[in-house]
Amino acid sequence: MKKLRVTVEGKAYEVLVEILDEGTQTAAPMPVAQTSVATVVAPVSAPTTAKGPAGAGDVISPLAGKLVSIDIKLGDVVTEGAQVATIEAMKMNTYIYAPKAGKVTAINITPGDGVEEGTVILKIG
Amino acid sequence: MAISPDLLKQLEEKRKAIYEAGGKDKLAERKKKGLMSARERLEALFQPGTFMEFGLHAQHQCHEFGLADKTFPADGVITGIGYIDGRPVAAYSQDFTVGGGSLGSMHAQKICNLQDYAMKSGMPLIGINDSGGARIQEGDAALSGYGQIFFRNVLLSGVVPQISILAGPCAGGAAYSPALTDFIIMTKTNAQMFICGPEVIKAATGQTVTMDEIGSAAAHATISGNIHFVAENETHAFDIAKKLHSFLPSNNVMDPPHHPTPTVSMELDPVMNDIVPDDPKAPLDVQKVIARLVDNGDFLEVQRDFAKNIVVGLCRIQGIVTGIIANQPTVKAGTLDIDSSDKGARFIRFCNIFNIPIVTLVDVPGFMPGIAQERGGIIRHGAKMLFAYAAATVPKITVIMRKAYGGAYLAMCSSDLGADLVFAWPTAEIAVMGADGAVKILFKREIASATDPKKKEKELSAEYRDKFAAPYEAASKALITDVIEPSQTRGIVAMALRNTLAKRETRPPKKHGNIPL
Repeated sequence: MKKLRVTVEGKAYEVLVEILDEGTQTAAPMPVAQTSVATVVAPVSAPTTAKGPAGAGDVISPLAGKLVSIDIKLGDVVTEGAQVATIEAMKMNTYIYAPKAGKVTAINITPGDGVEEGTVILKIG
Repeated sequence: MAISPDLLKQLEEKRKAIYEAGGKDKLAERKKKGLMSARERLEALFQPGTFMEFGLHAQHQCHEFGLADKTFPADGVITGIGYIDGRPVAAYSQDFTVGGGSLGSMHAQKICNLQDYAMKSGMPLIGINDSGGARIQEGDAALSGYGQIFFRNVLLSGVVPQISILAGPCAGGAAYSPALTDFIIMTKTNAQMFICGPEVIKAATGQTVTMDEIGSAAAHATISGNIHFVAENETHAFDIAKKLHSFLPSNNVMDPPHHPTPTVSMELDPVMNDIVPDDPKAPLDVQKVIARLVDNGDFLEVQRDFAKNIVVGLCRIQGIVTGIIANQPTVKAGTLDIDSSDKGARFIRFCNIFNIPIVTLVDVPGFMPGIAQERGGIIRHGAKMLFAYAAATVPKITVIMRKAYGGAYLAMCSSDLGADLVFAWPTAEIAVMGADGAVKILFKREIASATDPKKKEKELSAEYRDKFAAPYEAASKALITDVIEPSQTRGIVAMALRNTLAKRETRPPKKHGNIPL
């Protein structure tokens, strides 16, 4: 595995790359990559466009709490700023809004479950 | 005998040469980039024709490394006094076209002279920073110059307001001068502030970073919290500085420029009642409350993009200049955490220095739980809020809107921390902790031994809530001045400010307290 840093349009991404055809001694074949080859993580900071989570369409929990509801459905097309989920933390609901317009491509958390700060709740493609 | 025309001509020529700064080419190049020259910046900042320059003919004395024959017009920094809103303000503007705006000993001396003058005369100081850094040829004399500026920044701190505008590079040690001032305004593009740049970081640590990640206005406004305002461009930066100045006294012995209305209007604002959600779990957007509380919705928010769970800024309430500190429940449930405590405490201390009354709007469920907070020193940081409020002697008016729990309640200017007047809405909940948590501790045994523990817990929880999820328990102990309708808030806060404006409070003499840092 090699850790690389890729800068795309001014945004820096840390990427893990596994080189499959390198250094194999044939005796014991390298295990096949268990996960996708490259893991893309969100940029380290919010550079020029300082709003919303920077990871493409990831909708991230801003604090630890309990997911109360997912306020949209998988496949829905949402507008930027639409309320997509509700978290309860510290005796208060925190509404989560879409960082960009698009189609909801994944919902990772079930209502009632706990979320940590930074958990990806859902993805907008 | 009239004065010799030659002498006048000589003066005119000298002036002309210095006004040309780094040369026509460099000035033209700057213009092409859409940037103002150092002199144009001061013209934009001040009322026309009011600028009085100090040290136009100043020259460096350095003979090393080829500087002997080189002249730097005004030694790369323009200093002087001008007027904003009819009040004198000291300002300096570094000239990037002259030796890259580099700071040598004369450049530093000019800034120091201005700082000394501003302190003696009790006028605000605005620094327009645009400099490549130390003038390396001058060696430790340049370094000493920075030290002398920093020293004066500290002397002036708490005496006159100091505002820094970053409109170009401000790197390395130079960044500490703005950091020592009260407010930093940074332009969105063309300005960078950092201690170690990407090359140094790479060489020292192997980390690859972009300039935007460490030095941009966006990074400082949202993540580091080093700056207070982001400006679209230079003109906008000056507009922000002027707006800020409009709320500030010229020095610490003056009152801020209040424009009290002839009468205090007690008119009800029914919309304020509508803003409060019925469901206690639905967050109240405190920005909406502030917009209706302040005159003409005119609120100059400070550090808008940093630690958004607390909102701070300047306004007038029926003409009285006021600093507002408010929990924002739509962000992180309005909790106090490390960053929001730092942001709030610094603003409280600024208001106290310059005699600006404080209005605190409370809706706080507690301090933010979590390992990062505990290990990051939330105790030390949260203590700053307690310290700042308790140490402030300006009028302190508190409005408890909804939640006011535990230590965070105390840290939001409770009567025990020295609030002069405390008002609570009927939705106020003042308690040591939330109902569910409290009954689990108070009635552990009763719940465990009940035939239906869940039901018992619910009953007890409701009982606790009835008692404490209301302001009347606290009001019965005289911790609250009065319970008011949200619609009465603007009138009552305005009246409270008038009533308390002449407040005098003496404290034991000391050098200074020891605020946890």
